[in-house]
Amino acid sequence: MIINGVEIRDTFAEAFPMVGTRLIVTADTPEWALTAGRTTTGFATSVIGCGCEAGIERTLAPEETPDGRPGVSLLIFAMDFKSLKSVVPLRLGQCVLTCPTTACYAGVEGGKRVPLAKTIRYFADGHQISKKIGDKRFWRLPVMEGEFVCDEDTGSVEGVGGGNFLILAHTRGAALKAAEAAVAAMTKVEGVILPFPGGIVRSGSKVGSKYKGLFASTNDAYCPTLRGTVPSQLPAEVGSVMEIVIDGFSFEAVAEATRVGIAAVCALGVEGGVVAIDAGNYGGNLGPFHFKLREIMAGDGAANGAGAGT
Amino acid sequence: MSGVSLKPRAPFEARVDMAGITPAVTCSLTLRELEPLAVPYGARSVPLAELFFIESAPEGVLLIEIGDARLDGVGAGMTQGELIVDGTVGAWAGRGMTGGMLRIGGDAGDFLGAELSGGRIELGGSAGAWVGTASSGSRRGMSGGTIVIAGSAGAQAAARQRGGLIVIAGDAGERLATDMIAGTVSVGGAIGPLMGRGMRRGTIFASAVPDALPAGFIDTGAHELVAVSLMARRVPELSAMLKGWTLTRRIVGDTLMGGQGEVLVSA
Repeated sequence: MIINGVEIRDTFAEAFPMVGTRLIVTADTPEWALTAGRTTTGFATSVIGCGCEAGIERTLAPEETPDGRPGVSLLIFAMDFKSLKSVVPLRLGQCVLTCPTTACYAGVEGGKRVPLAKTIRYFADGHQISKKIGDKRFWRLPVMEGEFVCDEDTGSVEGVGGGNFLILAHTRGAALKAAEAAVAAMTKVEGVILPFPGGIVRSGSKVGSKYKGLFASTNDAYCPTLRGTVPSQLPAEVGSVMEIVIDGFSFEAVAEATRVGIAAVCALGVEGGVVAIDAGNYGGNLGPFHFKLREIMAGDGAANGAGAGT
Repeated sequence: MSGVSLKPRAPFEARVDMAGITPAVTCSLTLRELEPLAVPYGARSVPLAELFFIESAPEGVLLIEIGDARLDGVGAGMTQGELIVDGTVGAWAGRGMTGGMLRIGGDAGDFLGAELSGGRIELGGSAGAWVGTASSGSRRGMSGGTIVIAGSAGAQAAARQRGGLIVIAGDAGERLATDMIAGTVSVGGAIGPLMGRGMRRGTIFASAVPDALPAGFIDTGAHELVAVSLMARRVPELSAMLKGWTLTRRIVGDTLMGGQGEVLVSA
């Protein structure tokens, strides 16, 4: 398949189940909401090293938030529910509670409950008070700047982690520009995050390493500087590769993000220095979610759910 | 599920206990099956049909066409459906309701919504004493649901309230929220003396600082409270009162009882 001169390779991205939740963080200004969001989702690029993957899903207008202030929605994913229950209160306590003017609300209603103020409230040392509104309980914690308002807990979903595609380009500049275009398009898709810096990974990895104890190591087959010294997937004209990694609340959301991302890259086309789109997989052994690039770009990829074969 | 209309045959000569005559009951029976239902009437018990003309009404609704201050326990124990009273009711209306809607066009006697745990009461007139309180011998009053009063409320409203929302558009009598445990009450008019004695938690939204706060209340000053914005948006009954509040004066009490309740007033 060729789109605007860009080859869509006949392969698939392989993703795995994750458990995720959404937090709605508000503040007096959009800037402080973003600051809280960036801090909370900082150092959360890969479960391999960070324990969770997190990102800002989108910014929220005042009329979209529970307290009528500007906000951000954050998605946080972990490999299992126990890990999620552990990591969310940690980030909430360190990064939202501490951030000026913020409040934090549940962004998911259903699923297993992830504690928010249920645990953080004890910071108030007995001065915490709750307010039940409808079926939801909110906690109010006195803090030096005023009062921190937080939902008691939030719901969770069984999502998809590790969706991805690779951009093969002539130069580093062309690869970066294409990746930036993809990120700009993909961040408009609801229910997904791109957890890596700016949404882009330059250090895509393969499973395992020659060094004992390392779970992952550089994806040498896609390293241009190793072409010829290892079994490479890169033709001679490819000088740089960037990866976009996607976590989402559903297979469909990740598939849609993949589609709009690749479409944005292909819009730049061969004239933009893009050679091909590829994807990372491990022969189908890593996870049950397979995002077949050609099917997705043909418009029917979202029809293939968990367990779709290679 | 059919609806039922009850129209008094004549003015009542004694108090009538309507507890148990709820939409769940009336709408599950035929009109003929309703006729022999026993209703306490003064010192005796009479068939429902002896007191009321029983006719059909819109589905799911129990309609009492002419209210009377001698009708006690209207809507008591309601779990679902809608009960509408065109007029006044006596004491204990909506007592122990767990669900459904009770609309009373006129006034209500004492103990409106006592021990309410769910559902909603809308009162077009004023209520007597002890709105949302506990029954004798009970420690906890209203624990959930909503009571909206268009007029005023008598003494001891929200006493021992444990949860839920009471909205009083008019005045509240003396000893509002005595021994309040939790929940929310708002008063659009004046508040009588000795408000909040023994209050442990809970929130009182007041239109002005009450004249006679008990000794255990401490004014913490004016604050920007996100919780007020949150309630203004999420609680429709409070949105009109809280709209435009930027600074909120917070008075905490009853600290003599170790309480962390609060009186919130627009600063």
